[in-house]
Amino acid sequence: MSPRPLAKINKIDPAELKMLKKRIDIAMAVIIFFAALLLTRLWYLQIYHGDDFAKLSEINRIRIQQIAAPRGNILDRTGQPIITNRPRFNVTWSREDAPNPDAVIKDLAKILHEDISVLLDRIRAATENPRYMPTRLKEDIDWETLVTIENKHLSLPGVRIEVVPSRDYLYGDFASHLVGYLAEISPAELTEKRYAKYQSGDQVGKQGVEKIFEEYLKGEKGRNYLEVDVHGFEQRQMQLQEPFPGNDLHLTLDIELQRAAEEAMGDKAGAVVVMEVNTGNLLVMCSTPPLHLQEFVGGISTTAWNKLLNDPLNPLLDKTIQGQYPPGSTFKIVTALAAISEGVITPDATYFCGGSLNFGNRKYGCWKKGGHGTVDFHRALVESCDVYFYSVGMRLGVDNIAKYANSLGLGKKTGIELEHEKGGMIPSTAWKQQRYKEKWQEGETLSVAIGQGYVLTTPLQLCRMTAAVVNGGTLYRPQMVHSVTAPDGRTLKTFSPISDGKILGSAHSLALIQDALVGVVNSASGTAKVVALPDVLIGGKTGTAQVVRLSQNEGLSGNNIPYKYRDHAWFTSFAPAEKPEIAVTVLVEHGQHGGSAAGPVARAVYKRYFELKNGKQGGAADSAPSLPKDEKEE
Amino acid sequence: MLRFDRRLLLNIDWVLIGAVLVVALIGLANIYSSTHLYKETGAPLYLKELTYYLFGAAVLLLIVSIDYRVLLTLNYPLYVVMILLLLFALAFGRNVSGAQRWINLGFFRLQPSEPAKLILVITLASYYYRKETGKGFTLLDLAVPALLTGLPFILIAKQPDLGTGLLLGFIFISMTLFVKLRWATLATLLFGGLSVIPIAWKFFLKPYQRQRVETFLNPENDPLGTGYHIIQSKIAVGSGLIFGKGYMKGTQGQLDFLPERHTDFAFSVWAEEWGFMGSALLVICYFFMILWGLNIAISARDKFGVLLAFGVVSLIFWQAFINLAMVMGLLPVVGVPLPLISYGGSSLLTNLAGLGLLMNIRMRRYMGSS
Repeated sequence: MSPRPLAKINKIDPAELKMLKKRIDIAMAVIIFFAALLLTRLWYLQIYHGDDFAKLSEINRIRIQQIAAPRGNILDRTGQPIITNRPRFNVTWSREDAPNPDAVIKDLAKILHEDISVLLDRIRAATENPRYMPTRLKEDIDWETLVTIENKHLSLPGVRIEVVPSRDYLYGDFASHLVGYLAEISPAELTEKRYAKYQSGDQVGKQGVEKIFEEYLKGEKGRNYLEVDVHGFEQRQMQLQEPFPGNDLHLTLDIELQRAAEEAMGDKAGAVVVMEVNTGNLLVMCSTPPLHLQEFVGGISTTAWNKLLNDPLNPLLDKTIQGQYPPGSTFKIVTALAAISEGVITPDATYFCGGSLNFGNRKYGCWKKGGHGTVDFHRALVESCDVYFYSVGMRLGVDNIAKYANSLGLGKKTGIELEHEKGGMIPSTAWKQQRYKEKWQEGETLSVAIGQGYVLTTPLQLCRMTAAVVNGGTLYRPQMVHSVTAPDGRTLKTFSPISDGKILGSAHSLALIQDALVGVVNSASGTAKVVALPDVLIGGKTGTAQVVRLSQNEGLSGNNIPYKYRDHAWFTSFAPAEKPEIAVTVLVEHGQHGGSAAGPVARAVYKRYFELKNGKQGGAADSAPSLPKDEKEE
Repeated sequence: MLRFDRRLLLNIDWVLIGAVLVVALIGLANIYSSTHLYKETGAPLYLKELTYYLFGAAVLLLIVSIDYRVLLTLNYPLYVVMILLLLFALAFGRNVSGAQRWINLGFFRLQPSEPAKLILVITLASYYYRKETGKGFTLLDLAVPALLTGLPFILIAKQPDLGTGLLLGFIFISMTLFVKLRWATLATLLFGGLSVIPIAWKFFLKPYQRQRVETFLNPENDPLGTGYHIIQSKIAVGSGLIFGKGYMKGTQGQLDFLPERHTDFAFSVWAEEWGFMGSALLVICYFFMILWGLNIAISARDKFGVLLAFGVVSLIFWQAFINLAMVMGLLPVVGVPLPLISYGGSSLLTNLAGLGLLMNIRMRRYMGSS
């Protein structure tokens, strides 16, 4: 039984079949002709001219070697280099023309101060490679060794020096989280579209600015056309296409300020952020402990990596943008702004602080156990009275606080062009309903009003918020790159300030808050008196962020509490008070008290900033301190 | 499901299967030789090619088991799918060194211009089969097949992939000359074709394409640039002499002198390592396969089978001839792979599918006529 035909089969009629047969015959003739043509050509190439081509292949020839391009420099805002390149000298060896290789290796081991077995191991590991490929025997030799090898090169046949550009970190671990590091491109990255032109073995930015601005920094590889013999050994250079260096990246960071901040932080874990209040440009982005960038050159070892992972101070975390902490009392700036702008309180209205506030069946304490007595708006901020802000917060409600916090850029990413930024957390009734399917409890509003509870912020967010409060109300996008310039000096791209809109709140309330913040630093009862400088007026707010509330730690003070349970210390500030230029935010992890732990770091930064500024203007300080405003007004 | 006729098994085309196996083994051994020094991430290329072969064998079996006449109903749907795939590749395809040729399917990167060649063969065979010839095709009758060819040609040329585009043109010309044309039509076409060449040269070819042709005519002018490929390939082939340098011992191939040595220039590696004996054997094997294909065409049970088999043969023939002539320095460098020998999944699957069609037609030559 045959399958049912799918379509009617027309048998070919004999006349047509005859015609088709004729055509098939013609096609066969054509194909046989072409086959004969190809066979003749093969004979011509392989037999008739075979010896000529065999000779050509003997002396053949050109091999194209790629030369890595020097990567662009990274400079600070004044044009001082932070990261440049230096040539790294590697010793290579190939068997090509050495009559007595063992003796050469023995000599070389002596010069390199290496055990001969180390070198032999490397040679053995490379036996899989084609013979002409030089084996790397030692990386990054010093100048003295280099000179010795060059002088003896006649007695060291096959030994060559290979020059590879590599990163030179002029200031060590300077702003290490922000600049990031380089490493060999991974197999996974090679499949990504943005790395389409890379080959395995290439260096590529893995983190921070080095990664984000890879496209600008990388440059163009050069090519070396080498004449090689049949075994691939170099004979001579035929043509050299120099590599084209990458573009320079001008950061907004200031070397001097960043170093002042890093020094002041010492071995404390935390973050310092300094921002120009009228541009959003970042002058300092410091996260401690730093990454040791030199460890990453040529690939970090597993031991070093594991050590980083397990370090309790968490050096891998960029605390400026990834560290999320309760803002503590620094958040009172938000509550204060909301309260005055919404008309919930007047500056003169007073509350009585007796050391605690009873709400529901719980007692909410003030940090000052004895109480502040009768406090008005100004004193409440200056002395950071918790009870005052509990009361104000209750009248505002959490959603009003959230509205102002969001407008100040909290609870969402700042949009800085760095990877893995965290957004922090600003709670609201809607959020709690969605997240926990639970109704908001009034008592929780009290915690939020003083920056505890669910509230989380990053140091960068607080710095940006402070800048917006003192610059007239504009929320700027934080930026860390100022411009990109080509190797010939042409400017390829500049990054101008980006405004993310105006913050909520009346000019009147902003002025009141600024005044009070100056009082925090400059009045006798302020919580940040230690920060005050003799000839510049600084304003700021301290904060203490509870890590845990453990009854076993109650009553213990300071260093008797285990490190990991100690409170975080905040200080966020600006100067000069008359015409604010920069905002400085400091977080010291487990530093306990904002004023005493974070304050001095900010003070060191301001000191350096104004020294530099006045130094440039020609010496003497020209901004004589006026009478603190808070004293005039009270 | 179609019922399977046992008589089909008696008509299995062992000759063609044998020829394909010989060429396939040569191809795999050659890819191993040319790529074993590559530092690839992932599976070695010869293993990937072997996987494509196994997958292609399954496709071939599937094609053999279904009567080729279903293509008379499937031809236009297939054509539409092909056009859509080509459009997709142009719009969203993966860009590799300046060409939008690939569609990433995750496990496989499809190059839709490869199956397009075979689908064009099917489309043209169906068209010419349906159209009653009578006294032969007039110029007007050719408008439809010319359009059917022109559309994928433009889409592929835009990628840009001139080699594959031209191949479509060759398939169209071969199949059209095979059916009956009026003499006037033939004369007009010849004259028209010859006069188009200078215009195309001036306006249609991209500068790099013109440069390739110019380099071909005079490669020594530019030994480091585009002439490099031709010179190195000729040295590779020529230096193979009579018996070759030995398997995996070709210096041209192993030392990186040969560009694209596992794809377009795979034959050069073979010729260098196996000499005139090996190269001639492969060429003869190939052309035996092609002539056997013509034999299948003329023994088909119906005219559709004749046209389809002829089209598949012309597809394989032109790819093979253009590639071989290119690596021997007889034609300019255009990226046309050598069927079954050059590395590449899309090309391999297409050619195995085409060979499957040939076997299909061969097996059914006695069916349905009694």
